[in-house]
Amino acid sequence: MRPILLQGHERAITQIKYNRDGDLLFTVAKDPVVNVWYSVNGERLGTYNGHTGAVWCVDVDWDNRHVLSGSADNSCRLFDCETGKQLALLETNSAVRTCGFDFGGNIIMFSTDKQMGYQCFVSFIDLRDPTQIEDNEPYMKIPCNESKITSAVWGPLGENVITGHENGELNLYSAKSGEIVNTMKEHSKQINDIQSSRDMTMFITASKDCTAKIFDTTSLEHQKTFRTERPVNSAALSPIYDHVVLGGGQEAMDVTTTSTRIGKFEARFFHVAVEEEFGRVKGHFGPINSLAFHPDGKSYSSGGEDGYVRIHYFDQQYFDFEPEF
Amino acid sequence: MEETENMVDGLEVDELEEGVLEADGHEVDLDEDATEEDDDISFSDPEDFVDDIEDEELLDDVLSERPQEADGIDSVVVVDNVPQVGPDRLEKLKNVINKIFSKFGKITNEFYPDADGLTKGYIFLEYGVPTHAQEAVKGADGYKLDKQHTFRVNLFTDFDKYMVVCDEWDLPEKQPFKDFGNLRSWLEDADCRDQFSVIYESGERTSIFWNDVKEPIPAEERARWTETYVRWSPRGTYLATFHQRGIALWGGEKFKQIQRFSHQGVQLIDYSPCERYLVTFSPLLDTEEDPQAIIIWDTLTGQKKRGFHCESSAHWPIFKWSHDGKFFARMTFDTLSIYETPSMGLLDKKSLKITGIKDFSWSPGGNIIAFWVPEDKDIPARVTLMQLPSRQEIRVRNLFNVVDCKLHWQKNGDYLCVKVDRTPKGTQGVVTNFEIFRMREKQVPVDVVEMKDGIIAFAWEPNGSKFAVLHGEVPRISVSFYHVKSNGKIELIKSYDKQQANTIFWSPQGQFLVLAGLRSMNGALAFVDTSDCTIMNIAEHYTASDVEWDPTGRFVVTSVSWWSHKVDNAYWLWTFQGRLLQKNSKDRFCQLLWRPRPPTLLGVEEIKVIKKDLKKYSKIFEQKDRLSQTKASKELVDRRRTMMEEYKSYREMSHRLYLEQKDARLELRGGVDTDELDSNVEDWEEETIEFFVTEEIIHLEE
Repeated sequence: MRPILLQGHERAITQIKYNRDGDLLFTVAKDPVVNVWYSVNGERLGTYNGHTGAVWCVDVDWDNRHVLSGSADNSCRLFDCETGKQLALLETNSAVRTCGFDFGGNIIMFSTDKQMGYQCFVSFIDLRDPTQIEDNEPYMKIPCNESKITSAVWGPLGENVITGHENGELNLYSAKSGEIVNTMKEHSKQINDIQSSRDMTMFITASKDCTAKIFDTTSLEHQKTFRTERPVNSAALSPIYDHVVLGGGQEAMDVTTTSTRIGKFEARFFHVAVEEEFGRVKGHFGPINSLAFHPDGKSYSSGGEDGYVRIHYFDQQYFDFEPEF
Repeated sequence: MEETENMVDGLEVDELEEGVLEADGHEVDLDEDATEEDDDISFSDPEDFVDDIEDEELLDDVLSERPQEADGIDSVVVVDNVPQVGPDRLEKLKNVINKIFSKFGKITNEFYPDADGLTKGYIFLEYGVPTHAQEAVKGADGYKLDKQHTFRVNLFTDFDKYMVVCDEWDLPEKQPFKDFGNLRSWLEDADCRDQFSVIYESGERTSIFWNDVKEPIPAEERARWTETYVRWSPRGTYLATFHQRGIALWGGEKFKQIQRFSHQGVQLIDYSPCERYLVTFSPLLDTEEDPQAIIIWDTLTGQKKRGFHCESSAHWPIFKWSHDGKFFARMTFDTLSIYETPSMGLLDKKSLKITGIKDFSWSPGGNIIAFWVPEDKDIPARVTLMQLPSRQEIRVRNLFNVVDCKLHWQKNGDYLCVKVDRTPKGTQGVVTNFEIFRMREKQVPVDVVEMKDGIIAFAWEPNGSKFAVLHGEVPRISVSFYHVKSNGKIELIKSYDKQQANTIFWSPQGQFLVLAGLRSMNGALAFVDTSDCTIMNIAEHYTASDVEWDPTGRFVVTSVSWWSHKVDNAYWLWTFQGRLLQKNSKDRFCQLLWRPRPPTLLGVEEIKVIKKDLKKYSKIFEQKDRLSQTKASKELVDRRRTMMEEYKSYREMSHRLYLEQKDARLELRGGVDTDELDSNVEDWEEETIEFFVTEEIIHLEE
């Protein structure tokens, strides 16, 4: 399994995401460029320019019309996916940490950091109403007083947004009323990443408390736990098997003091049902910050603190693997 | 107890007190000056003034120091059997008395009662402070003035004290017997498993586990059981926990509290080998009069047996116990003090004066002390073996050009190895001699092994006649195994070079050992069988900080302690052959300690018989192991199966919901079915992607 190495960023990767079809891979890093690549051969298709700070998050809608990115330059930008043209600039008071399109691709959501005296907010903008963008006036802005949002995804059918917080809490916000519909606390530390399963009935969280957990999307009921010895920065669910992949490693600030060997920067594969590890993939020489499964489940990609994105196609061995039961 | 050290203490106090007295006198002078100056302005109260302020209000803080009528009574001694004299010779008598009693301190008052022109034959003397009076009692009681007159000196307060003693002796009230159950219940485990204690979460939690091949089985878990660490007693009966206010001992089936020892700020403890006594050390609270830096306790009654000053010894344990717990000894400057139990008094009431003593050590196999003294001008350095309590020197060995010595006893006390670092004349650098004393033979013959390499570690086989040495310089480290043959010859059995090790850990049963490169050497491990000196396995536990053999020598644990390294804190369980059985990660794991076992009750013959019939037993054990293994794998499979089924039913439920929402999904995405990757094939656009394959031809220069 020789990976394809994507060298398009000068700084640590912050998030990577496939589009629905899986032919494109979007990557953002702590540099101002948003990159898009052909996932099949690792060729760079283009960039989305405009940001002037680290980019924390990226998303693409289901029919590849728009790309949304959020940055520490206190802005969220909407691009035309095909041409790369910037369609909208949504200025905020603090860094944009998470962003996403709803199921239909009509409503965008983004959350901002608690920073420089500003609170953490989740904002909702309906793209069908041009005045909301022009006036930079979201139809709903929910303040989040307690612990700031560190990761967020849309729930199924665009009804809710699931947010993960710095204190390990999970909240389910209604995209219509802005109320907290449900809440759950299973993690003891910051939730670094949330990713939904393909059918969006469940999602996986990656936490600094060295675990990743699976929850039900509607009830937020805890289903499964995967344990490691290092903070987990990202976790993804396979679209075709009962597998998850976890990535992380020692925190970036401690990395310089130790060797890669002790940092444990491997991507780790677990079987969902029995919560047991069955494989590891080495490669990055820093912690893995973001992971994504290709929608066909035949490859996955990882982006690391080392600034590289690696696309891995699975060997036949992976497909032949049958756990003993 | 009359000891020289107490005398010294007393003298120091004397000087101190005098200093205080002088200072007081000075203050009085100042006050007088003040009153003289007051003459100009009158601050006097008018005559009819009534002071309505209570003393308590004005000087409540010093009121407790107000002189009492009985003050000074503690400083008075009564001397009996003083010659009876008339007034003509009284002055002379006083001179004699003064001469004798002034050496204990300044006499501030004296009284010679008389009747009918003769003194009464007893006198009263008052000293400045009570300690002087006590010294006088110690020093002058029994003093022979002449044939007829032998002084009896007593504290004045003692008269009162002994007058009120009740003539009838009351039987002490019987203490109810507290039943703690069987304190050795853990030895009755049907599978002969051992226990160990684990401290984790940076000390927040302490657990006791049964060691099982599959996984550790919890026996007890408590939050904040100890404030620092724990210590098992040498026979495993008690677990000691450390608290700001003292030590608690736990034991029995449920680890109930058995005893408490109140010692503020306790930091270090040590048990006597018989578990009867506990020695605790605290850096707080020590005063000249009341030594309590080190306290010896009776573990059964919980009573404080005796307190000691710490003096200046740097190494714990300060007190070293003889193997049977009958004696304990400490070394101070030029002195070796040996105490005996249960009286806790100095053996024969005096310490041994050994000029220049550097180190000493008890034999673990008999009441023999080994100590060494470095060279002093023309007198060679020497190692002495002394039998106790007779204090007979059974062997003295002189050594020359000695830099340093270390005493290593074999665990049974069969051998003593003195590692001698020397700088022989005419050579450069240090060479090391191992002087091997054969303790069980007549006159204790000594043989020498010389090594030119630097020595990193030395260790005896616990119950055998082999020893292992790590020598050389990093990175060229070798290990050598030696055997002390019955004829006294010391034979090099085997030597391996290029070892990554800095410590030797023998199995407590001998034969097997682990060479470990701890900390800076990344946790390299080599498992060695010394019967034929083969390396059975080489492994690694990265950044390991500790290695602990279980008391039976079947398992060994390597661990990375949070106290030494902040990541990957875990303990790994290995078989004695170096097969890794378990990796146990515990959050901020600190310390693992095996519970020691008491010595076996079987005799040598019985053990021999068991060893002879080992085949018979091993069959039973193997069968048992197989059974438990199949059971374990069955349990595992069952567990997986249930997890799998639960998950499956959850997914089916989710899937039903997913199907129900299909219409909603279609509506949201404008009628496009996106449920499967290829469910909207008709909408696909073909796109051709070119793969750029660059070919570079580089001509190498010839």
